[in-house]
Amino acid sequence: MYTTLSFEESGEIARVTLTNERITMAMVRDLTAVCDHLEDDSACKVVVFQGQGGCFSRGIDFAEFRPDEPMDIHGFNKWEKICVRIERLPKATVALVDGACVGGGAQLALVTDAVIATPEATFQFNEVHLGFLPGMATFRLAKHVGLGRAKRLIMQCPVVTATEAFSLGLVGEVDPDLDSALARLIAAFGPNHTVAVTLARRLLNESFSTDFENGIGNFLAAQHRAIHQTPFLDTIKKHRDE
Amino acid sequence: MSTSKAKILSVGTANPPNRYSQLDILELFRVANPTVRAMFQASHIEGRHLVLPEPDDDGVPREDQETLLRKHRKWSLILAREAIDRALSAQGLTTADIDYLCCITSTGLMLPGLTAMFIKHLGFRVDCHRADVVGMGCNAGLNGLNPTANWCAANPGRNALMVCCEVNSALYVYDDAITTGVVNSLFGDGCAAVLLRGEPATDTGEPVPQLVDFYSHIIPDAWGAMRYDWQSHHGKFAFYLDRDVPYVLGIHAETPINGLLQRHGLKRRDIHHWIIHSGGKKVIDAIKYNIGITAHDVRHTVDVLRHYGNLGSGSFLFSYQRLMAEGTVRRGDRGVMMTMGPGSTIETALLQW
Repeated sequence: MYTTLSFEESGEIARVTLTNERITMAMVRDLTAVCDHLEDDSACKVVVFQGQGGCFSRGIDFAEFRPDEPMDIHGFNKWEKICVRIERLPKATVALVDGACVGGGAQLALVTDAVIATPEATFQFNEVHLGFLPGMATFRLAKHVGLGRAKRLIMQCPVVTATEAFSLGLVGEVDPDLDSALARLIAAFGPNHTVAVTLARRLLNESFSTDFENGIGNFLAAQHRAIHQTPFLDTIKKHRDE
Repeated sequence: MSTSKAKILSVGTANPPNRYSQLDILELFRVANPTVRAMFQASHIEGRHLVLPEPDDDGVPREDQETLLRKHRKWSLILAREAIDRALSAQGLTTADIDYLCCITSTGLMLPGLTAMFIKHLGFRVDCHRADVVGMGCNAGLNGLNPTANWCAANPGRNALMVCCEVNSALYVYDDAITTGVVNSLFGDGCAAVLLRGEPATDTGEPVPQLVDFYSHIIPDAWGAMRYDWQSHHGKFAFYLDRDVPYVLGIHAETPINGLLQRHGLKRRDIHHWIIHSGGKKVIDAIKYNIGITAHDVRHTVDVLRHYGNLGSGSFLFSYQRLMAEGTVRRGDRGVMMTMGPGSTIETALLQW
């Protein structure tokens, strides 16, 4: 069914393994199908994105471009659309990074809720040195690391080690044992409260680009939705019973 | 599915000439209550087209119920003439070409109703079929569009016109109460006319939407959340708007949206355009977070609110007009129309371009 990735789901974890080192339009289609499934039919709590063989992803596949053909912006738009869908999935999302996480791969890690890396992981936004732009990392990265650091990462394209990525805040944890780090993270995410998770993440993602007046209106609308869902009602009941 | 579903051919709109900023109104009527002043200035409305009287020496306008009803009648005709002309001339038609006329208003009671007045003054044929939808509030545009679309489907090739005509300044009550402040800071005057025709699907020209389906939802528990009350000390009707309205509408918004989409095997991500009533800032926020749509999805809804205020039943057609003017709609796109109002009511419609 998928040609550029493999997908497996077991209990609370769904795992997306990028089997292509490069991002192609076929991978965008595969990721779209994965998102359809996760939104419509999946009861999992956490979605894990990972690479294989010591590589997370090397970014866009230039083999899909022809210098003698007109350049097409729409493929880039499709990539941004799938990034936004992953960013808004009704699940907590994690990138497990071992080895190179470059270009579009780093953009993908940036839209997840948490990144765990091995000490051998390296991160690079290499696009500007190749004459194009690192997608909407141009919009997101400064929120994560601050404007000055984002300028360095995007304009100077340094290869960032796992340790440095941790100190920048791009990576939440560095551990050679990804599986046990993932198990701790999943426990830390707590109960599978889809509505609260999705709304909290949306408000946080909007926080840098919303003024306070709009922000508080948005918050009240979101909070009203959250307190009418089963998890909060259960919390109140539990509190009353104690 | 029927091959002669109603299509929306054109929309025309009109507003009274005088436009007031929120500050203009506070100064004109010398509003002193700081809570009301704050409400006007934080209401995410930059201006509204209104038909306001000159205040008396004490800053308060004197309009009794009779004056308000005359204002509704006079301005309904002025605004409808303009909106109808714009909608019809876009298709090279005149009022004599209209076979079915549906008029919507909640801002003044008339007998005979708007359809009879428009036939008398605006050149519609005397054998034009007609229906008046009166007193259904802000959601009424879709309550009127549903039977109008059905009439079109049953009478392919014939022209139907729906006119939403709201002179909200014909409802104004002036006092220091907070609830009055909410109402007076929110509503504006405007009229929208929409031309429909049932025709088989064609493959040429500009994208034209077909009205595929409607789905209604009423919340009887919130029956009194939006209502007209007779106020004997004012000698007129006053509109009451409960402060929980945005939240009540928000929490129920999923129900009709899911009902509408599931009937057609669609997901929310299959909807390209959301055409939502500009009920107020909090209402829009509540809808946004409860059905999971973005600030971009409600850009026209927010823009119509900012420029006109809440125009009642025709608001969503102003948003529709802006969407079509934007030029981003493509053939095959799908849209959802959503209007909310008293009842409490949420009405929805599915469009396919």
